Amino acid sequence: MSWSLFRKKISPKSFVKDFLKEFKSDIPDIRQFDELTFVVLDTETTGLDLFKDHILSFGAVKIQEQKILISTAVEWYLASSKTGKEAITVHGLLKNEEELSLESFATQMLPYLGNHVIIGHSIGFDLAMLKKALRPFGLVDFPNPSIDTKDLAIRLDHGLMVDPSRINFQDYTLDSLCQRFKIETDDRHTAGGDAFLTANLFLKLLKLACKKGINNWGQLKK
Amino acid sequence: MSNVIVNRVAEFLKTYPPFNFLSKDDLENVAQQVSIKYFEEGERLFSQGEPAQSHFFIVREGSVKLTENQASGELVKEYCDQGDVFGVLALLGKRPYVLNAIVAEETIVYFVPVSIFELILEQNSKVALYFAAGFASGQVVVRQDLSQGQKARGVFKNESNDHSLLIFSDPSVIKISENVLTGFKDLSIQEAAEQMSFEEVSSIVVVNEQKHPLGIITDKDLRKKVVAAGLPLGASVSEIMTKELIVRKSDASFSDLYLCMIKNRLHHLVLTKDGTSQSPVTGIISDHDVLLSMGNSPAILIHALLNTMDLEEMKSIRLRAEQMLRYYLENEVAMDFVASVMTEINDVIISQARIIALTKYRREYPEMEGIKFCFLSLGSEGREEQLLRTDQDNAIIYEDVPQELYDQAAEYFLKIGTEMVEVLIHCGISPCPGNIMASNSKWVQPISTWKEYFSEWILRPTEEALLNSTIFFDFRAIGGTNFLADQLTDHIYEEVRKKHFFLNFLANNAYRKPAPLGFFRGFMVERSGEHRDQFDIKARAMMPLADLARLLILSHGVVGINNTFKRFEKLAELEPVNEELYTQAGKAYEILMRMRALEGLHHGNSGRFIDPESLGKLYKQLLKNTFSPLLELQELVKVRFQLDYFSK
Repeated sequence: MSWSLFRKKISPKSFVKDFLKEFKSDIPDIRQFDELTFVVLDTETTGLDLFKDHILSFGAVKIQEQKILISTAVEWYLASSKTGKEAITVHGLLKNEEELSLESFATQMLPYLGNHVIIGHSIGFDLAMLKKALRPFGLVDFPNPSIDTKDLAIRLDHGLMVDPSRINFQDYTLDSLCQRFKIETDDRHTAGGDAFLTANLFLKLLKLACKKGINNWGQLKK
Repeated sequence: MSNVIVNRVAEFLKTYPPFNFLSKDDLENVAQQVSIKYFEEGERLFSQGEPAQSHFFIVREGSVKLTENQASGELVKEYCDQGDVFGVLALLGKRPYVLNAIVAEETIVYFVPVSIFELILEQNSKVALYFAAGFASGQVVVRQDLSQGQKARGVFKNESNDHSLLIFSDPSVIKISENVLTGFKDLSIQEAAEQMSFEEVSSIVVVNEQKHPLGIITDKDLRKKVVAAGLPLGASVSEIMTKELIVRKSDASFSDLYLCMIKNRLHHLVLTKDGTSQSPVTGIISDHDVLLSMGNSPAILIHALLNTMDLEEMKSIRLRAEQMLRYYLENEVAMDFVASVMTEINDVIISQARIIALTKYRREYPEMEGIKFCFLSLGSEGREEQLLRTDQDNAIIYEDVPQELYDQAAEYFLKIGTEMVEVLIHCGISPCPGNIMASNSKWVQPISTWKEYFSEWILRPTEEALLNSTIFFDFRAIGGTNFLADQLTDHIYEEVRKKHFFLNFLANNAYRKPAPLGFFRGFMVERSGEHRDQFDIKARAMMPLADLARLLILSHGVVGINNTFKRFEKLAELEPVNEELYTQAGKAYEILMRMRALEGLHHGNSGRFIDPESLGKLYKQLLKNTFSPLLELQELVKVRFQLDYFSK
């Protein structure tokens, strides 16, 4: 019951074309972490159903030279016709701030993402939601490389070749990992707050990775 | 627009002085500029003696110890924990750190840029006082309340220790020795060494009867050519002396002499009466003399670069070079000297990068051993004009290889190029946004393909080809085999000669660049986007001049001058009628380079966008004056290349 069955080919809008133009070549494997720009992002949605639900807000911050740059922090709220009850009860999200139309969100977000590496906790879900949101403008997929902090944490504990049945996934939620890495969790369940926590977590994971000999892009993306 | 991330940072800051003195808006402005980094035990934030960074530090969580180097090791002077501010000396901006900062446990540190804080210091006397008080007690600003801080005495007492800017204390201080030790060529090695010891000098100049220099012997020659080679001490000095002497005139300017030493890597430079070896020796200058009179000198930096393969060290040396640059610019040192020194430093980094890359891949590709290649710097670095570490543009040419080695060569040289580019990135030279770099397979090609590229651009000057020509035509080979680059140059001139109309396209392209001044003689500033109301000094003033210089020099068929102001110099020589205009244009370009570099150093960016309102009246006028030769040159080109008849 994937929505992609109904996919029509939409020709990309000019801002989508501009975005796609950024991807001229792959990041060389030997590039060091200090030289990479990461965009750490999180979305809050009306629910967990890719088919029915949609994005309420988007928060992100960039990392350069392994530093979180607060000046790059963004938080965008999307205007929506329906405000999912489920979302309100879970996240306590209310209609506030300036709300953006889907199109103005898209035109701001793509240049912000650029060709940087995308980071997030369970990033697959966020990317799928974003992909769905961007489809009306002709974006089929994000060419950006991405790293899931959940997968990275698991890899650092268990190695690349781990039997999933041996993992207790409860240990790898954002809450559990923040607790383990002593990151204070004040603003959980706002997109900006979660993106910021994930960025802090990612910095710590990167250091841990370095200790295990994962010290360039080629090693990290495996 | 505040958001939850900025708020979190602000919430933390406001619980600690001096941030608790700030208004809500100021606090938010500071918070917005913070960057956050995570450190593990043992990592260093800075070391004693290093130049101050552009930010100071606050411990968010964990702790950092500040230590002092002593003969017995590092002595801990202070521990900073949550909320402590340190590294504040950077606020003064001009002094090196007096302590080391070493992370004592897992720690999160906030970096606050000095620039934003300087603004607040000006407006908020409480904050200023707080910091002033901190200075008295040394480098650390520890948490304390204001009443204690007011006891501050002897503020800024360390001022006399400022030695970070001793670069050229005063060129006249450099002592050129006029009593040169000389000897005839029938002297034995033993006798020469005796005289050197007696006079306590490190060199002896061998001369003929008229005192014309024939060669030089230094301590190093005695070590390498005599002792190590087991030569008998009775042999004649003419057997070991260095005969290819580079000499200069004794009253040449210091920067000329010094540049000559840097470029030729000379330890000793012999001076003669008329600057040739056919006249009597009048003096000698050694790098030791130069070193003694300087702190942060190009010679020291280049020497240090040549002796390291360590990326971190290379990066920090490049950073020191930037400090030196700033000093030069602020003190109006001649631009061709400044540009040559910075180019030389960049070139040494590239040569080191080349060695690093070759060492890494040599074993893996034994077949590639003898295949010649050269690394090309393009654009501003190719023109020897890159002062700041702005984009790198580069490429690789290699020899044509037999069919069976074709794929392997492509793979090998791409790896070499990628490695070199990464080294440069690590040294702080940003990657090219257009991906014109030796890590892009399109720009790592055998000579035959490069010839095809250029032929194609010249034959079909599309928009893209013209854009490429502004970057690629200014190539310069660095390290490796120059003959490949020379072949390419010959090819280009041959093609341009055959298809002269290409120059009209190039002229049209140079002519159509955006104008620097509006109708009412105001600066044409950017109308929208990030740089709104700023003046793009690169696109509106520098690129048009560089483009015009390239076009005109190409039209004269002159090879081998890449530098824009040297091109104008040459043009003045070639066209005496327009001498005045070309001289003015060359000067204008130098002024623009200086302004841009200073602007960039001041703001820690590329210096490309200048806010005209922030310039003083004098600078505004100076900048405007640089436009008049530009506009005149455009008119000249318009007539000369008949652009009025040019179809669109």
